[in-house]
Amino acid sequence: MTRVAILPADHVLDLVLNRRPGRLWAASFAGALTLTILLAAGVVVLLVRGVGIWGIDMPVAWGFAITDYVWWIGIGMGGTFISAALYLTRQPWRTALSRYAEAMTVFAVSVSGIFPILHLGRPWFFYWLMPYPDRIGLWPQWRSSLSWDFFAITAYLIVSVLYFYMGMLPDMAALRDGARSRGRQVVYGLLALGWRGEARHWQRHRTLMLLWAAVAVPLVFSVHSMVALDFSVGQVAGWHSTIFPPFFVAGALFSGCAMVLVLGIPMRRSLGLETIITIDHFEKLARLMLAIGLIVAYGYVMEVFTAYYSGDAQEIALARNRFGGAYAWVYWSTIGCNSLALQALWWRRVRTSLPALMVVGILVLVGMWMERFMLIVTSIYRERLPSSWGMFYPTLWDFAFLFGSIGLFLALFLLFVRYLPVLPVFELRQEGETP
Amino acid sequence: MSSLTARQREAAQALRASVNGARGEHYWRALESFADDPRVHELFPQLRDMGASLDRRAFLKLMGASMAMAGLAACSGPPSDRIVPLLGRGDGAPPQRSLFYATAVAVAGEVAGILVETNEGRPTKIEGNPEHPLNAGATDAITQAMILELWDPDRSQTPYRKQAVASWDTFDGDAAVLRQTYGKDGSRLRVLSGRLHSTTAIDQAGQWLRRFPGSRWHIHEAIDDAAVMAGLDLAYGRPLRPRLDVSHARVILTLEADLLGDMPGKMKAARDFTANRDPTTGSMTRLYAVESSPTLTGANADHTFPMDASDIPGLVDALAAKLGVGLQSNPDLVFPALDAIVNDLKMHIGTSLVVAGRSLPAPVHACVAAINHALGNVGTSIHYLPVEDIESGAGTLAGLVADMHARKVDTLLILDGNPAYAAPAMLDFAGALKKVRQSIHFGLYRDETAALCDWHLPSLHPLEAWSDLRAADGTVSVQQPVISPLYAGRSLHALLGGIIGDVDNDDMARVMATWKLSGSAWDEALRRGSINTAVTPTVMLGAPRVAGTPSAMPSSQARSADAVDVVFRPDATLWDGRHANNGWLQELPRPLTRLTWHNAALVSPSLAAERKLANGDIVELRAGKRRLEIPIWIAPGQAPRTVALALGGGRWRAGQVGTGQGSNANALRHTDSPWFEAGVQMIATGRRRELASTQEHQAMNGRDIVRASTLDAFRDNPSFARGKPTPPSFYPDRSPGEYAWGMSIDLNACIGCNACTIACQSENNIPVVGEDQVRRGRQMHWIRVDRYYTGQPAAPRTFHQPVPCMHCEHAPCEVVCPVGATVHDSEGLNLQVYNRCVGTRFCANNCPYKVRRFNFLEFSEWASEQSKARRNPEVTVRSRGVMEKCTYCVQRIESAHIEADREGRRIADGEVVTACQAVCPTKAIVFGNVADDATAVARAKASPRSYALLEELNTRPRTTYLAAIRNPNPAIEGDA
Repeated sequence: MTRVAILPADHVLDLVLNRRPGRLWAASFAGALTLTILLAAGVVVLLVRGVGIWGIDMPVAWGFAITDYVWWIGIGMGGTFISAALYLTRQPWRTALSRYAEAMTVFAVSVSGIFPILHLGRPWFFYWLMPYPDRIGLWPQWRSSLSWDFFAITAYLIVSVLYFYMGMLPDMAALRDGARSRGRQVVYGLLALGWRGEARHWQRHRTLMLLWAAVAVPLVFSVHSMVALDFSVGQVAGWHSTIFPPFFVAGALFSGCAMVLVLGIPMRRSLGLETIITIDHFEKLARLMLAIGLIVAYGYVMEVFTAYYSGDAQEIALARNRFGGAYAWVYWSTIGCNSLALQALWWRRVRTSLPALMVVGILVLVGMWMERFMLIVTSIYRERLPSSWGMFYPTLWDFAFLFGSIGLFLALFLLFVRYLPVLPVFELRQEGETP
Repeated sequence: MSSLTARQREAAQALRASVNGARGEHYWRALESFADDPRVHELFPQLRDMGASLDRRAFLKLMGASMAMAGLAACSGPPSDRIVPLLGRGDGAPPQRSLFYATAVAVAGEVAGILVETNEGRPTKIEGNPEHPLNAGATDAITQAMILELWDPDRSQTPYRKQAVASWDTFDGDAAVLRQTYGKDGSRLRVLSGRLHSTTAIDQAGQWLRRFPGSRWHIHEAIDDAAVMAGLDLAYGRPLRPRLDVSHARVILTLEADLLGDMPGKMKAARDFTANRDPTTGSMTRLYAVESSPTLTGANADHTFPMDASDIPGLVDALAAKLGVGLQSNPDLVFPALDAIVNDLKMHIGTSLVVAGRSLPAPVHACVAAINHALGNVGTSIHYLPVEDIESGAGTLAGLVADMHARKVDTLLILDGNPAYAAPAMLDFAGALKKVRQSIHFGLYRDETAALCDWHLPSLHPLEAWSDLRAADGTVSVQQPVISPLYAGRSLHALLGGIIGDVDNDDMARVMATWKLSGSAWDEALRRGSINTAVTPTVMLGAPRVAGTPSAMPSSQARSADAVDVVFRPDATLWDGRHANNGWLQELPRPLTRLTWHNAALVSPSLAAERKLANGDIVELRAGKRRLEIPIWIAPGQAPRTVALALGGGRWRAGQVGTGQGSNANALRHTDSPWFEAGVQMIATGRRRELASTQEHQAMNGRDIVRASTLDAFRDNPSFARGKPTPPSFYPDRSPGEYAWGMSIDLNACIGCNACTIACQSENNIPVVGEDQVRRGRQMHWIRVDRYYTGQPAAPRTFHQPVPCMHCEHAPCEVVCPVGATVHDSEGLNLQVYNRCVGTRFCANNCPYKVRRFNFLEFSEWASEQSKARRNPEVTVRSRGVMEKCTYCVQRIESAHIEADREGRRIADGEVVTACQAVCPTKAIVFGNVADDATAVARAKASPRSYALLEELNTRPRTTYLAAIRNPNPAIEGDA
């Protein structure tokens, strides 16, 4: 255990500048790296052989890759929301969570971005989704939600990276100033972009962050509404639903909060941040998660209601199929993880128990993955012509990509924990100045 | 190649064999090792000078030689003989891109008149010959797939002696010895052939028997009509073949007979049957089918009665008794519909037909002959043809094997047969073959039999050789080569001629001599593909001896409670297994089970429930010492205690494609009763094998996918199938183009034969994906034939529905493609732009008809030169990661456009014929310009039976369906 520094801000800087990585970090990083290598191997095999290495088929032409994509981008959403929306609404407690939540966003969105590209039959032509001048005058097909999606992800990735980076500028300067080795001074110095801590800098930085937050928050909503439109513009029963955009936004926030919990609890303990990230923070997060989880549960109920209310035979057959068909276990696992387990959070004892929160958080993450799988696969495996019904069976490569992407995410996060300040040092200082 | 010396040519042939025998990495290793092969040096003398050190120049030279050798495999063009295309100017005309030649092939026990399309001399597609009376333009799946067989890299390419590459010269030396040895006494010389459809070959067989006095000719087909001929022999005193004329039959009763599926003349039967079933004319032929295992005929019947195989002879007895021709009735029979059927038959004297299938024993056929006679059908709906002397006088396989075991056979010549596989295993043909001093196998493949013989001689493919073929109705076709031989094979005629010493004639001269044709008459025969004058007269016969023989089926055997009947059936695509190395046929879903790549024991739902068996559970069938392990498949409509086995599986030397696929039902077949086995024990092994079926769900689940009614109900409400008026749409209507292409598919005409699927596969270069990929649901067929059951699983009604792309006017696929790879053209085609497709697959998810196919892996074959040569040059070959689907044969539409533009006219109705439409035996598919009310397709769409699939989605499909109408007998309860 590291000694606790006198000031929280100094402790955070100290973590980056002076602390040698412990065994726990090294073991975790080795594990994450192994999974990342698995992902890399998967990518190579995929590029050589084709997406047929996965279990996708006709009629289930989308499987794990799209599930993983939606799951990751949903997780990514939580970070921006916690950081930017709470910033705009001036919730001071966010400071403890904002930095690592933003990092989580950047990494999750980056990891999610792998999937829509790799899931293409010919991934090397992914740039055809971009409008770029070419000699034959080809242009994206603007009626397709996949074209919109391409812009939504790109915009979101750019904004969340910039928001993350801008927010770190003063901390980079602090690291530069505190660094003792020449190499670190240069690296952090370059990253600090010449920050000298002048009042002008601070004033501009504050304005910029406010503006970025104002840009990021609507993007949070737009990107996930957009992901929902990837499905709901289709005519497929189970996808073609107006509730999808808000439903997806809620689901994304839900899984984002869960990931902030699941990352924060062990990080707090291993980095000795108990005085900065308090139980109270997690309790608030748990409340937020409960509220959003209820919206998600409302979405589940409304899906069933609209299916029956529509009177459409296929919609009703689909709802029944989810309850009792081949993938019913996925449906009920989703409900169990996302809606039932969540109810524990009504109790303050649970909200203040870190192991309990960890369990609920993990369940929600699992449940949200299941939900995406359920929404995608059960809608298309039994469509209107029974002759073309067919199951989806994942292959080992499907799992390799899922766990490999988790490995990549964790590897990135572990590097973040080691080389960047996990909390906004300048904000902690400001807090310290104004008691 | 013509500049090569004979010696060089032989070296080239041997090399070609070894090049083609190698695969993958070995292929290239083989090429490298050639540098040291003396035969190579003979062919490419410059290689000899290069020595060990490979400098750049030498390397380039070697590369050049490699290319030349790789090219050997594919360099072939039109044959050197003068052949005559169907259209065009024949000799002297400038080479055309695509030419059609009329020829014929013998497949599935009958002769098909075909047209072969060649592109720059390469045959690429087979269609039916419109001028052939049996085919009338249609073909079945197996016939079409022969184009793939022609280009099969696994075909035998050179003679083998003692399993080592040899030459024809060596064989010719051995043949000279044969002539000497057996010239005086040929009794130890035997020939085993399949059924001879060629008159020239029959003449040669006669010459053979004269040249080698005492020699015997044996004929064996794993799937033959021996019982039918024997039954007619019982009835009329001489073996005969029936020729059915369904066009005259208004009431048909089939007994274990797949009239539309696997009987000779099935194409014509299907066409005539459908022609008499147009509900708008007010009357329809009525079809009753009694069968122990579901067939296409049963699927299209108005009444289908599943009945255990051992009970069917009893039914025939009862039927005969009711019609006054039988001697005994059958008091045990429970068949409530019998009186209604008998009355229906009696009301149609002279216009009815009772057909018994090849699997019923001879006495039943004799009885059925008497029934048809009593019904006055002889001369109207049924005729009899004489059997060739060579066939009626030929020995059997069993007789041959007995002689072989008795060491009475020194030399055995096996022509185009594979008895080591296809004979009942109990005969132990392989063991008998060891007792033959010299065995010679002549065939298209180095198969199971070739591996056991001293000599293997490659035969030419029917598309490479001259011959003549007599069809089931007596029509004689000329078989003309459409390509010069790809490999060092010989034709059957050349082989026989060579052995008997008739070496002066070539095959064309032999065929011309057989039919005494020359000059313009010969040209006309080649052009048309048939010799008009050569129709065999039917035999005029007196009354048959009233058979009345008690049922010869062992139905009287007390059936133990746990024993089952086993019946054997030809495989719908592999026939007796000879097509096992044909990927198209392996992957073509069998019409009723939708199974691919592996045969199964079909069991009834009740038997499966009783034994707690599920699809894919492996059972062992035991009949005496004979054993067979095979996975089961639950078949609705299967008779309760009958298990059906398809022949053709379990080949062990079929080639890269077919080896090891399926279970070999010959293991269970008995020589004396090749089609039926009673008292078979079925024991679950506890093991499973996942079978690759293309349709997992069988019912329509209450959705109006196939709309169907009865004739009576149709008369009352002709537009029962019509949906609601087209709802409004948010999307603007497209401005009409010059044409509006559309298709109408008549579900009343579709018999579900799958010919369209293969036609499409051949026309559009659709790859074969393999069993594993089919299990994953990744088959690529652009037009699939869906099969649905309604009613009780024990005796369901069966409907088939071909589903190509609907070419929706408001296509859901188009709006979701982010790169615009699927777009609409001005003539209403929903186009797929392969080179723009990035493979998001959203279009497939959004297609409610699920007609889109995705190249999940690199499915197109690039390894062999043959597969490149075989492809349709008009159609792009798709790479992996690309979506594809039915294009309405856009290449044919474009050809018609070009033709019409050149002549300054509009495209006429019927000028564009899609591949699926062209081969359909029942003309169920109509295609054309729907904007013009006068076209056939517009008239079809105006029919009250016309409806759109999933019309509630407002996709406005251009492909629509005509509802199916059945004509049940109102006197039969509960089955209407």
